[in-house]
Amino acid sequence: MEALLAFTRPPLDWHALAPELTLLAVGTILTLVDIIWDEKSKQVMPTLAGVGLLAGLVPILTLALDGTDRAMFGGAYMVDDFALVMKALFLIVGYIIVLMSVDYIRDGDYYENEYYTLMLTSLLGMLMMASSRDLISVFVALELLSIPAYMMAAWRKGGRRSNEAGLKYYLMGVFASAIMLYGMSLIYGLTGSTSFSSIASAMALNDGVTAMSILGVLFVLIGFAFKVSAVPFHNWAPDTYEGAPTPVTAFLAVASKAAGMVALIQLVFVAFDNHEVIQPFFWLIAALTMTVGNLIALRQTNIVRLLAYSGIAQGGFMLVPFAVAGQASERALQAIVIYLIIYAFMNLGAFSVVLAVSRKTRSGELESFGGLFQYAPGLAVAMTIFLAALAGIPPAGGWFAKFGLFRALLDAGGAWAATLGVVVAINTVIAFAYYARVLGQMWFQPIHEGDERPIKLTSALGSALVIALVATMAFGILPGLVGHFGEVAVLSTLGR
Amino acid sequence: MVAQNIAFGIISGIVVFSALRMVTTRNIVHSALFLVAVLAGLSGQYVLLAAEFVATTQVLVYIGAVMVLFLFGIMLTKAPIGKSMEMTGTQWPIAAGVALMLGAVILYSLIDQFGSDRLTEGGKIYRTADVGDEVFSTYIIPFEAISVLLLAALIGAIVLARKD
Amino acid sequence: MIVTTSWYLVLGALLFIIGGVGLLVRRNPLIMLMCVELMLNGVNLSFVAFSKALGDIGGQTVVFFVLVVAAAEVVVGLGLIVAILRRAPGSTADDLSVLKG
Repeated sequence: MEALLAFTRPPLDWHALAPELTLLAVGTILTLVDIIWDEKSKQVMPTLAGVGLLAGLVPILTLALDGTDRAMFGGAYMVDDFALVMKALFLIVGYIIVLMSVDYIRDGDYYENEYYTLMLTSLLGMLMMASSRDLISVFVALELLSIPAYMMAAWRKGGRRSNEAGLKYYLMGVFASAIMLYGMSLIYGLTGSTSFSSIASAMALNDGVTAMSILGVLFVLIGFAFKVSAVPFHNWAPDTYEGAPTPVTAFLAVASKAAGMVALIQLVFVAFDNHEVIQPFFWLIAALTMTVGNLIALRQTNIVRLLAYSGIAQGGFMLVPFAVAGQASERALQAIVIYLIIYAFMNLGAFSVVLAVSRKTRSGELESFGGLFQYAPGLAVAMTIFLAALAGIPPAGGWFAKFGLFRALLDAGGAWAATLGVVVAINTVIAFAYYARVLGQMWFQPIHEGDERPIKLTSALGSALVIALVATMAFGILPGLVGHFGEVAVLSTLGR
Repeated sequence: MVAQNIAFGIISGIVVFSALRMVTTRNIVHSALFLVAVLAGLSGQYVLLAAEFVATTQVLVYIGAVMVLFLFGIMLTKAPIGKSMEMTGTQWPIAAGVALMLGAVILYSLIDQFGSDRLTEGGKIYRTADVGDEVFSTYIIPFEAISVLLLAALIGAIVLARKD
Repeated sequence: MIVTTSWYLVLGALLFIIGGVGLLVRRNPLIMLMCVELMLNGVNLSFVAFSKALGDIGGQTVVFFVLVVAAAEVVVGLGLIVAILRRAPGSTADDLSVLKG
């Protein structure tokens, strides 16, 4: 009894937690609606989920207008501008993916209601990740976002490929999280704390890099390298992407990867600030990821696998600024955030087109895009814009993301940054090759199986496509727009 | 202190032996039982480390719940019992070699860094109530998050595993 | 001779390594799952040993979270394995070859 009375409730900042709570409430409502109305609720499920995700944007807006950094539990949970920008991105991405899922999940004889529940749970984990500044919170957020994703990857129960996709993703995921946890235990042992700020100050005090601290930092980073499918920890990605239902693939390739990047940003820029092992590590895996991803993408004949390897390579581009995190930390952080935002929209756009086309052709092969321009000119133009964006051709959005990379590398200067810049440039050229192959297929090849029926776009998928298209073009023509988000997304600890 | 040394030695021996057997045995039920031995042994180590909360949850959650799940899994999947099970993949020597080298590095650096550290004697012993206070104050958000996680895992696993 | 932290850490590391080797070498998904549990137990032992050495409660709290998450992971893993083995009895991870890396 005494112990019970001695306990004082921790002070909670309800306003700061409002986005997470909104999402949690919507998830609960979804579950309840599912239980009460069962079959009848299927029609409203996607609407509910979508509206809920948009509702989550409201508290983010009020928090952004308020503008103060809110720290809870001694800095273990931080709502700063960086967290807000990332949370908004996750919610919008989630909304687009709900739009992409509606017809796919409805037509495919899947469990619908549970699908949206799991997706909201995973998104809740991502929101939490953006604010976590503590090893325990990061670990729990990672599991909260990954475990529903394992199950979503296996959601096509009848298909063996989907089951395998789920199991493979699961086994790699739990292996990675075990490695990450071991690294966390070593770091905890060295610094005596789990909160990022204490870890940073303890590491600054322990001068001299020990074998132990290198191992600890590396293990934690490797755990997240699996999540963002960086080479050589990428083996699961193409198989899982191909086997999983396509909207889930988009979810994994965009939202889940972004969450991994957010975790890496917080670890690199806050917790392991300027640890000696970070720059060489990221230099190596960024160069490897870009090169291997692009080279294998060249040989793909399946459009989803091609996008998977292109996604791996894009992830490599995103890892580049980490390699200069020490010399140009502010620029590097901006570059990653900008790249993440643009990548999300252009990649979601490309996946929407794939979804639309495969609804008609029932095929994931590259040939199924043959002659797309002749019977679906709108889709062909949209796909051209998304691929141009991915390749980095102005005026589509991607060029600004690449520009950000080079700016960070230039700011850092030095031989290592210059070499990495060369690697980036070479890879940009390689990427042209396979994006051009898809373009050639759409514009110049004969129509696949001579089937000239036009593609009927459903309203939900159409809206997803339009949102992605508008955002991609807007970011390309008015780069200041996304640049602004990059500039405001400052981690509150950077100004220490 | 002598008693603690002896207990540590005996339990460690059992744990390491069982772990090795778990990984090498061909019989999947035996594997599960060796895992139980490892888990029980670790629970003993936690008692030696004066971590009462962890020791009890280890028994309740791991041995009580997780292992039962494993045994159910073995039965549900009608996994072959006996020696028919395929042991290894084709590239196992490479994998094992890499892992063992990494292991040697870990062990070396552990002893290098912490070799002379003593366990704090007579320091504060944390009771279950202290862990509870910690979980419900500093870590209240992760705590709520794992409750959501458990619910999601439950819903998803039922959908995946049910017959239809 | 007094038991030092490093003894517990070495035991934890041994379990972690044995589990890791097992995961890479064995091909039955259920056994691979057990190997992950072994690795997590190695992690937990390290956390508790550090917690004791530092006189800090954080390590024990982490273990609580790891335990619960491990339970959730096992539930999901068994769900997936049951789903896959129902379709193809006696599968090993090498038979999962519809998809080739």
